[in-house]
Amino acid sequence: MGLFSRGGQTGRERRAMQDHLRELDDMRRNNLGDLGQMTVEMASEGRFDRSRLSQQAAEVAKIDREADLIARGLEEGLTLQELEDLARGDGATSG
Amino acid sequence: MRKGALKKKQRQLEELHLDRREALGELVLGMYVQNNWDDDLLARGSAEVAEVETELNELIAGNEPEGPSATEKDFPVTGEHRLPTGEHDYPATGEYTAEHAVPVTGEHTAEHALPESAEHDYPATGEYTAEHALPESAEHTAEHAVPPPQPKLSRAEKKAAKKEKKERERQEKEAARAAEEPATPVPAPAPSATAPAPSATAPTPSAGAPTPSATAPTPSATAPAPSAKTPPVSPPAAAPKAPAEAPSSEKPAETPAEKPAEKKPIEVPPPPAAPEPEPTDPLDMLEKEITENEARAKTALEAARASQKADAQTELTAITREVESGRTELDDSLKKAAAAIAAAEEKASQAEARLKRETAAGREAAAEWVRGQAAEIEADAALAAEMSDEGQAPATSGEPDPVLSARVTSLEAELAAEKAAKDEALTKAAARLKEIEESARLAEARVEAAETAADEARNKAEVQAAAAPAGDGKAATEAEAREAAVNWLRGQISALRQEIAKSDEAGNDPGGS
Repeated sequence: MGLFSRGGQTGRERRAMQDHLRELDDMRRNNLGDLGQMTVEMASEGRFDRSRLSQQAAEVAKIDREADLIARGLEEGLTLQELEDLARGDGATSG
Repeated sequence: MRKGALKKKQRQLEELHLDRREALGELVLGMYVQNNWDDDLLARGSAEVAEVETELNELIAGNEPEGPSATEKDFPVTGEHRLPTGEHDYPATGEYTAEHAVPVTGEHTAEHALPESAEHDYPATGEYTAEHALPESAEHTAEHAVPPPQPKLSRAEKKAAKKEKKERERQEKEAARAAEEPATPVPAPAPSATAPAPSATAPTPSAGAPTPSATAPTPSATAPAPSAKTPPVSPPAAAPKAPAEAPSSEKPAETPAEKPAEKKPIEVPPPPAAPEPEPTDPLDMLEKEITENEARAKTALEAARASQKADAQTELTAITREVESGRTELDDSLKKAAAAIAAAEEKASQAEARLKRETAAGREAAAEWVRGQAAEIEADAALAAEMSDEGQAPATSGEPDPVLSARVTSLEAELAAEKAAKDEALTKAAARLKEIEESARLAEARVEAAETAADEARNKAEVQAAAAPAGDGKAATEAEAREAAVNWLRGQISALRQEIAKSDEAGNDPGGS
């Protein structure tokens, strides 16, 4: 399906999406490492602050959502504009 | 332990530390997503991270770690144990459930990695989705069970699965290497000269230890191989750290007595070659495949469009030609119908004119003949009256006059001649009448033929194209006129015959008497 509906996406858009996806991956790994480190520190203190953990985990979840969106755009050959509309639609539905 | 081995060990520990931190972060993320917090599990995960961190710190501080290294009992945070091999010990709890057992039948479920097969090109991640080409034969033997359609994984889940697989492969390789290790000579005692401090504090590895810690010092000799093969998971983060921390690990070994020996080139294993861009990266392969498919699909689409356009044009031309030929045929038939109507009208008008001419000529001839006959009849009547007057006069005198008798004789001769001429004229008139009747009959036949032709032409015109109505009333009036003329002529002829008969009787009476 995605193969034949790839008409709108330009090569530049595709490269930009791939670069952004790589950035998101790096960011996700860093955030997960920070989250793990934070958990270790809390464990050493003997108390887990769930609000702080939730805050940091929410950041990672946000990155995950964005990465999923970009991956979908790459798979279905969506343009940046379509991707933006999709993100707004998702935001509207989720929000 | 040699410096190279220490560096390698340190690098492995750093990687392991990062991985465990990320795994712990994943664990927290999972708890956040499910909103199901488990402090115990968090504490266990934190303890594992802290263990690796401690070991790393000790290694950095120059203390060679004792006992089993964390890199050799790298179980995941969740407590899941991978499939045990012959070289591995069972976990300390002794738990070995059926979950981890390879089934005897050789079946491979989705939990286990798919077997490598030359027939099917499975991607490295073990995924087998619709994006990858299915084998042409579509054969799926019992050995290669087709995995059931799984819900689409998110990128995070995919990455986690990939990472887990890499970790498993690394573990298996290390285990295999550890199994080979006893056969190779162990150079463990030698480094004690160069590093006296660790060797003094740390006891020599106990040979009788059943755990993999017995082979703990040796992995450094064979360690570079897996790290070079497996793609570095986090070299960008670990690389800058390693050179910075390397001097700190070397510091405790530096004693004044050993400074001259320090100047000798240290046997450092060559740095691993820069990782080449992997051609087997599934993402790149997928991208390449998608690009090729896209180009192929575009070409096919253009060809289909061109052929469709050509077909449409050809069809349009054929339809236009058909319409033009149909229009031409219709025009021809209309022209033919119009010509037939015009010819029929022309014939009808010609027949009408001829009939008029012939009727007029016949009337004229009949009137002429009748006038001549009337004049003759009058002359005969006058002659007869004169003759009767002359016949009474000699009877009164009593004696025949020779002159008169001669005159009578000549008159009689003249009368006989006139009778003969009259008979002859009557004969001629009868012949002429016959001719007139014949010509009238011929004219009627012609009129009938003309009417028939006109009817045929009219019918033809009506059939071919709803032609204009022809003059039916005209033909009717013509027939009536013809009939009237014939009747009048017949009446005239009968009247003439009667008069002739009367005059004959009148002529016979004086002769007979």
